[in-house]
Amino acid sequence: MRRVAPVIIAFLSGFVTVISFCFNPDKTVLGGIEPRVLSWVTIVGGFTLLLGVVSITRVNWQAVHRKKEGWPYKFLTLVAMYVMAVPAMLPSSWSPLFGDAEGSIYDWLFMHIDAPMMGTMFAMLAFYIASAAYRAFRARNPESTLLLAAAVLVMLWRVPMGEAFLRLFGENVPGFINTYLMNGVNAAVQRGIVIGAALGAASMSLRIMLGIERTYMGKG
Amino acid sequence: MSGIEILQIWVAAFFTLAIFSFLYKDNPFFKLAEHVFAGLSAGYYVGLVWKSIILQQLWYPMMAGEWLLVFPAMLGALMFARLVPKISWVSRVSLAFVMGTTAGVFLVSQLNGMILPQMQATMLPLVLSEGAGATLMALVMVIGVISTLIYFYFSKEHTGALGVTAKVGVWFIMIAFGAHFGYTVMARVSLLIGRVNFLYEDWLGTFLLIF
Amino acid sequence: MFDRRWIYLLVALAVIFPLIVPATFKVHITPEARQLFDAIEALPDSSIVMLTFDYYPSTLAETEPISVAALHHLFRKDCRVLTMTTIPLGGPSIAERVTRALAKEHGKVYGVDYVNLGFKYNYVAVLKGMGTSIEAIYPMDNSSTPLSELPMMESIRNYDDISFIFVVSDNAIVDYWISIVNAEYATPVGIGVTAVSAPKYYAFISSGQVTGLLGGMKGAAEYERLVKAEGMALKGMAMQSLVHLLIIALVIIGNIGFFASRRARRRATA
Repeated sequence: MRRVAPVIIAFLSGFVTVISFCFNPDKTVLGGIEPRVLSWVTIVGGFTLLLGVVSITRVNWQAVHRKKEGWPYKFLTLVAMYVMAVPAMLPSSWSPLFGDAEGSIYDWLFMHIDAPMMGTMFAMLAFYIASAAYRAFRARNPESTLLLAAAVLVMLWRVPMGEAFLRLFGENVPGFINTYLMNGVNAAVQRGIVIGAALGAASMSLRIMLGIERTYMGKG
Repeated sequence: MSGIEILQIWVAAFFTLAIFSFLYKDNPFFKLAEHVFAGLSAGYYVGLVWKSIILQQLWYPMMAGEWLLVFPAMLGALMFARLVPKISWVSRVSLAFVMGTTAGVFLVSQLNGMILPQMQATMLPLVLSEGAGATLMALVMVIGVISTLIYFYFSKEHTGALGVTAKVGVWFIMIAFGAHFGYTVMARVSLLIGRVNFLYEDWLGTFLLIF
Repeated sequence: MFDRRWIYLLVALAVIFPLIVPATFKVHITPEARQLFDAIEALPDSSIVMLTFDYYPSTLAETEPISVAALHHLFRKDCRVLTMTTIPLGGPSIAERVTRALAKEHGKVYGVDYVNLGFKYNYVAVLKGMGTSIEAIYPMDNSSTPLSELPMMESIRNYDDISFIFVVSDNAIVDYWISIVNAEYATPVGIGVTAVSAPKYYAFISSGQVTGLLGGMKGAAEYERLVKAEGMALKGMAMQSLVHLLIIALVIIGNIGFFASRRARRRATA
């Protein structure tokens, strides 16, 4: 029961979406079921986000309660979470500070604290990538030399100053990089990887539908 | 610029600099920003799920008479069984529904929308009337795709003809990964430009107003 | 080997310098950007175009200029714009803010000229489901107004009623716009993606599954030039140029050091 029922549900729900590919949604019952099933998936899946939030609350609250190392920071996480969440759930008809529209607490906290921090975290990678380029990007053998040469050419080609420099060697050099490097060699390799990955994804989907792949169920 | 606008720029600048401070070394300002970030992001999800799923997809339609929505609501609620070890297996029902449906869409879309069109686009005539350039491109495409696929084929040892093709695949892959690296540098630098531009134009701009 | 923080300082200076001493450069248009621009130009006026905000706030510097330039183009052409997002963290807020600002600039009316659908969970189900009925997936818009009450939505049922989909994304969701929407419903898809993901999508240009590609800030700058709406991307090209040249210089210096030390080692062992 604990394992067989989920396998049957996974098979049936997958089967409906696969088979409905062949049926007209307006003229057949099976085709008509599909949009309903898909809209239900968007609802059920959304609850996983809430589950994650409950887990964060639990883990952080336990750390605060037991006064584990760094507990004031965990407490701050909890405060930030509820300061963001609670006003968003209150109706905007009560106050313009509630809800999620522009001018609400939710929107303000997101636009002026959360979004800038998220952008900065990724912006820091520019420093690390520059440092890594200096320390590790070496022409050790023919393969790494190819990698290095392609990287340098693309870095030059993708910026106006570099492109102007490349044009010193011939007006067609940037066009040559676009045609033969990006749309030629690069596109061929990406296509190989796309086909390989798609074959893997399709076989994994089949494994899930047939109940061979069950790791998503966890233990027990 | 109003006082509140200046305040919001300073708040954003404080958290931006707090994150950047990690470049020097880990410090309490970074830790503070990191934990506030985690909390706000989790809080954002709550607001989002509340509005877009619970209200828009469940509550309002159910109030309008769509009682069948009780089923997805129940399936969603079952997810929380995961938090109680004794009955955590119950959440598999909902999970299986989501996984099965997604797998069904995936199976068709990967075959119909990825594998077939990409293979079709690779089945090119090798001698083209458009000229040597087009013929060269077709050759690059066919050899590149086949050799890349063979390089990633590990079910047989890479010796003989397979080994030679895999070696050609490595050359192709190195060039493509080099191009990818160039693009990655570009991406990261662009993000830095965004933040530095904010600090220079917006934040430093407020100094002129204040002082 | 010196402290890596000196490299960080050099990078920071390379970004700041063009802000202090501004310079403009000519941005050349790639065929992929031109293809996307031409595809939108070729649409009849008042066509319905879907514009997606499939990106997180972390990549705003690259993706937002694409969305802004796209909206300038679409609103100038009097296209009716349907926006949506598959990104839970920030997607709805960004879509709302950017679209409303641009609509105000172009004097467009919500519900008549543009509609923001907002977010729904599980992008695979969302993309597939909208093929049959957008209303089944999005019963309401981002502001919780039922779609049936929005005049623009009267003529939009599913992808059949949409002339073009302009996907702006920083993740692999583009794959599903191609493999689900373009493949099954034959709606043309044009894409503006972050530079990290751009190389992958060249494979879809030659297969005809994608109509035009903008890659990162440079792609955004190209589109800004095409639609004659100078913005952050064109401005950022000077900074981008200088940092790229710095990184290339660092690679060259690093390799000179590497070859010099290898030669010294070989001499010592000989």
